Amino acid sequence: MSGLSKHFRVSRREAGLRAAIRAVFRREWDTVRAVEAVSFRVSAGERVALLGPNGAGKTTTLKLLAGLLSPTAGELTVAGHTPGARQAAFLRSIALVMGQKRQLSWDLPALDTFELNRVVYGVSHSDYRQRLDEMVELLDLGHVVTRPVRQLSLGERMKCELVAALLHRPKIIFLDEPTLGMDVTMQLKIRHFIRDYNERYGATIILTSHYMGDVAALCSRVLLIADGELRFDGDIDDLVKSVRPVKRVSVTIPDKRHRVGMSEYGMVVKREERVVLDVERGKVSDVIAHLLSREGVRDLEVTDPPLEEVLREVFERRRPSP
Amino acid sequence: MSGGVRRSVGALRVAAAQFRLCVLQALQYRVQFWTEGVLRVAWSLMGIAPLWVAVQHRGEVAGWGVGGLMVLTGMFTIMSGIYGAMVQPALAESMAHIRRGSLDYLLLRPVDAMVSCLTSMYSPWRMLEVLVGGGLVGYGVYREGVFSWEGLAMGGALGVLGVVVLYAMGVLMLAASFRALRLENLTFMLEAMLDFGRWPVGVFRGLLKAFFTFMFPLAVITTFPAAAILGRSQAGTFTVAVAVTLAFVFAARLAWNRGVRHYTSASS
Repeated sequence: MSGLSKHFRVSRREAGLRAAIRAVFRREWDTVRAVEAVSFRVSAGERVALLGPNGAGKTTTLKLLAGLLSPTAGELTVAGHTPGARQAAFLRSIALVMGQKRQLSWDLPALDTFELNRVVYGVSHSDYRQRLDEMVELLDLGHVVTRPVRQLSLGERMKCELVAALLHRPKIIFLDEPTLGMDVTMQLKIRHFIRDYNERYGATIILTSHYMGDVAALCSRVLLIADGELRFDGDIDDLVKSVRPVKRVSVTIPDKRHRVGMSEYGMVVKREERVVLDVERGKVSDVIAHLLSREGVRDLEVTDPPLEEVLREVFERRRPSP
Repeated sequence: MSGGVRRSVGALRVAAAQFRLCVLQALQYRVQFWTEGVLRVAWSLMGIAPLWVAVQHRGEVAGWGVGGLMVLTGMFTIMSGIYGAMVQPALAESMAHIRRGSLDYLLLRPVDAMVSCLTSMYSPWRMLEVLVGGGLVGYGVYREGVFSWEGLAMGGALGVLGVVVLYAMGVLMLAASFRALRLENLTFMLEAMLDFGRWPVGVFRGLLKAFFTFMFPLAVITTFPAAAILGRSQAGTFTVAVAVTLAFVFAARLAWNRGVRHYTSASS
């Protein structure tokens, strides 16, 4: 993807009846620059996360990659194809799973949609049976696939959506918020399944998600998009280091009297029974030694700052350095 | 197998699989299934009422006698059934897909997206109208005593062109809905306009006749096939029908390609 842009023309009008009537005869338009001169390259088998606040251009980027939208400018090649041309060979090699939309027939068991997709993608009966059995087992779907989709829970439905999308064994998978609205257990299962599929078949995964758990568990590389522009492209650790060059040190200090003087070690994030400090990376070993030598200190833990906080900081800065 | 043949076979397979899915959907709810069945039988029989009224008061309409009008009404019922069973549900479903953004899934299939849309939904019960229409055509031909294999073949070929025109008009509406999202009512307006097809195009004069031959070609959809079955086709009918069909197919494909190019999907 090189210098890719996507602009939309959207209508605009003031509130109220007069403006609404005027808009019927004479409409005013704005140009929304959903994606602006974005360039990046993803290798086969990579797992990459597209991150950004709402309206940043993540889903638009994903849809450009899948060939659902035509770019306004720039060059785009996916697996040797121009996505917008929507050649059958390209479409057979990709899958798109959207957490907020469904392809399963609402009133019928998921198995009926699977059969439709088998025909659509020309999957042989034996391959279909083998792949279906494998995914049903991995996702612990059992009899879920024989119940009408409208009777399934959100998590069960999303698992079935994944099966429907992966029956033709795509090499590139676009996931748009696949764990949206799910409980933690279901999120973990779906993350595990996606990771397993990537490792088993060497498929490329491009993911958007607001759950940093998804990102941290699945992707080592992140593409940060804000206002349609690519703000960062690299390793999650590098992103954390560049934005927050600190380590988060947490200790439990039950006695309040022992919690004094904590600010000497770094920035105090939380001063309760569990004290949380942000400590400069170069000073972490010294701080650990000091803390462990103090009275009443236990359960010391050193981590990176949470990804959510790092991203919030990035998005609050208008132009962070990558 | 050449690319074109392979694509056509693939499209037919998808259409058949989609039809199977719609039949399963129709069978999913028992009460709805039987209610729809009874309604469709009643609707088909009621569709004959205008013909009955016409022949009660007049011996012929624009040169078409009772038997001829039966064949024409039969052809109209067949076309209306095909529209209601195959075209209208697919259009309504695809328009809903466009509005909701779930058209994304249809566009991502490795088959012609237009075929995917035009086979996305069926109303199996409305195929009953096709059977009733076929019966009327048969009875009309028997009554007139004009049966010939050539006439039947020509009528069948013209009927196929009529169905293609119906689909092409549907695609034009679908392409329009890429820009204006709520156009489902257009599909019902088209069905209402089809009602003029109960009568031979000869009842219209001047501009109206040209309109129903070239712009909204009811002549191609009902009058021409019925006339051919009755062995009363005029010279050049087939050429006009082919030309009108090709023009509609070309316009529909152009509008579709343009619509898909400007498809913006829906925000997540």
